[in-house]
Amino acid sequence: MARNSRLTDLPMRGAKDKKISLADRWKSYIVHHRITLRSAFKKLLMEPVQTLLTVTVIAIALALPSAMFLMLKNVEQLGSGVEASAQLSVFIKKGATSQQIKQVQKQILDLPEVWSVDYISADQALQEFKALSGFGQALTYLDDNPLPAVFLVQPIRLGASGSNQVEQLVTTITSFSAVDEVLVDMLWVQRLSVMTDISQKLVLAMGVSLIIGVLLVIGNTIRLGIHSRKEEIVVVKLIGATDAYVRRPFLYSGFLLGLLGGFIASILLVGSLLWIGQSVSVLAALYQSKFDLTGLGFSGVLGLCALGSVIGLCGAWMAVMQHLRAIEPK
Amino acid sequence: MICFDNVSKRYSTGLEALKRISFELSVGEMAFLTGPSGAGKSTLLKLLMLMERPSSGALLINGKNLMRLPRSAIPNYRRQVGVVFQNHQLLSDRTVFENVALPLQISGYPPSETGRRVRAALDGVGLLDKESHYPLTLSGGQQQRVGIARAVVHKPKILLADEPTGNLDPVLSAEIMALFRRFQDVGVTVLIATHDLSLIHNLDHRIIHLADGMLISDGGSASGA
Repeated sequence: MARNSRLTDLPMRGAKDKKISLADRWKSYIVHHRITLRSAFKKLLMEPVQTLLTVTVIAIALALPSAMFLMLKNVEQLGSGVEASAQLSVFIKKGATSQQIKQVQKQILDLPEVWSVDYISADQALQEFKALSGFGQALTYLDDNPLPAVFLVQPIRLGASGSNQVEQLVTTITSFSAVDEVLVDMLWVQRLSVMTDISQKLVLAMGVSLIIGVLLVIGNTIRLGIHSRKEEIVVVKLIGATDAYVRRPFLYSGFLLGLLGGFIASILLVGSLLWIGQSVSVLAALYQSKFDLTGLGFSGVLGLCALGSVIGLCGAWMAVMQHLRAIEPK
Repeated sequence: MICFDNVSKRYSTGLEALKRISFELSVGEMAFLTGPSGAGKSTLLKLLMLMERPSSGALLINGKNLMRLPRSAIPNYRRQVGVVFQNHQLLSDRTVFENVALPLQISGYPPSETGRRVRAALDGVGLLDKESHYPLTLSGGQQQRVGIARAVVHKPKILLADEPTGNLDPVLSAEIMALFRRFQDVGVTVLIATHDLSLIHNLDHRIIHLADGMLISDGGSASGA
């Protein structure tokens, strides 16, 4: 019964070299990361069809809201350009003396919101009308110049409350003597801004739901991977692997899927923007505008790739944690 | 080293797998855990691997109560325990070397040291020439020995084995047993669950006999369980 008690005071071979230095741990940690990344990449290449399908779904789901977002940004830019050039046309009463006109000009120029004032006399207006309208001959039959003199007022670039300030400016100028009427076509600018506001919210809602979709797609793909490595996970857990160790390969897979998805989404966007951009330039030229389509840009590409990888990481994380919780000791 | 104090385990299904088990295993001791299937051998080992938690009683390892071990400390605890599984649980998509290296990799050993230790462990079980083979190309006995090499490569203080000779012939079984004794000789506490009574009959070792979740006898093999 004295079973081997003679051996109990032997030095513990196991205890002697248990210590692993921090530097060694770090080195082995880095090596494991490298190995895991490489094998995650290999696993993706080993199932090219599955990978391609997943990545394409992710790419489309990322490209769609991004494309709409870009479109909105361009429309907004167009709108802001118009808003900045919102000109007021100040019509002078018929029969106003040149003195009165000069006084009005001075009054308008003294307003702090006004950037510049151009004067078009009634004669100039008539000349211009003759030249541009094509009714030149008909106009010669008129005894009297029917057109009033006009001040074209350019307000300074206005901030967010621009339309309010413009309205105020209109009332101020209308109150001046010798001013007949002030015209400003702000309504469509306001409508445009409300419409972009609504579209922005729509794009946001669509973006969020598509991002959730990507999250689920990646989670599902990772879940398949977990399922095929179920035994391996149990074994490494029993040998003392931490949750982080078990998670690592799946996080890398999710990350790579998301990154590839983001990258392909960028390619899709850049390609279609180039394609559409040509037609837009032609259209802009027809409107005598130098409007250029705002593209994704380098930061946009980076942003899409980053967004894809983050979603990939999150999807993989959720899938692995769900599995790890399920195999927890009770 | 290992101390069971009135440990009971009741599964959520209502099955009472262990009933008030109490025994102690000192450092460097080797014992067999026997009993018919369903007696609670596997549950007892699962408690030691922290695959299950006891329902009541205290389970002390090296003076520390496993009941109080937080979830985050489980990996570190398991690294001090070597486990030989009945169906050896080798990863079939990795070579023998990679399988044996797994515990070292998990514990964070530097790669430079891994090779030396893995070869030492494989040499110990006589499979040094098989390091680049895949487990499925090996015989059952060889696979079991790879499993043992993996269980001891990180030099654990406790070695647990669940039916390590389960489906091996007597000669191979005796070989495996001799291996376990060598680990015991260097101070490892060894607990082996087996129903193969003929195997341990002529070995002079402590035998802990379980039946129906209860400890029936605890003593030398001569008494013949």
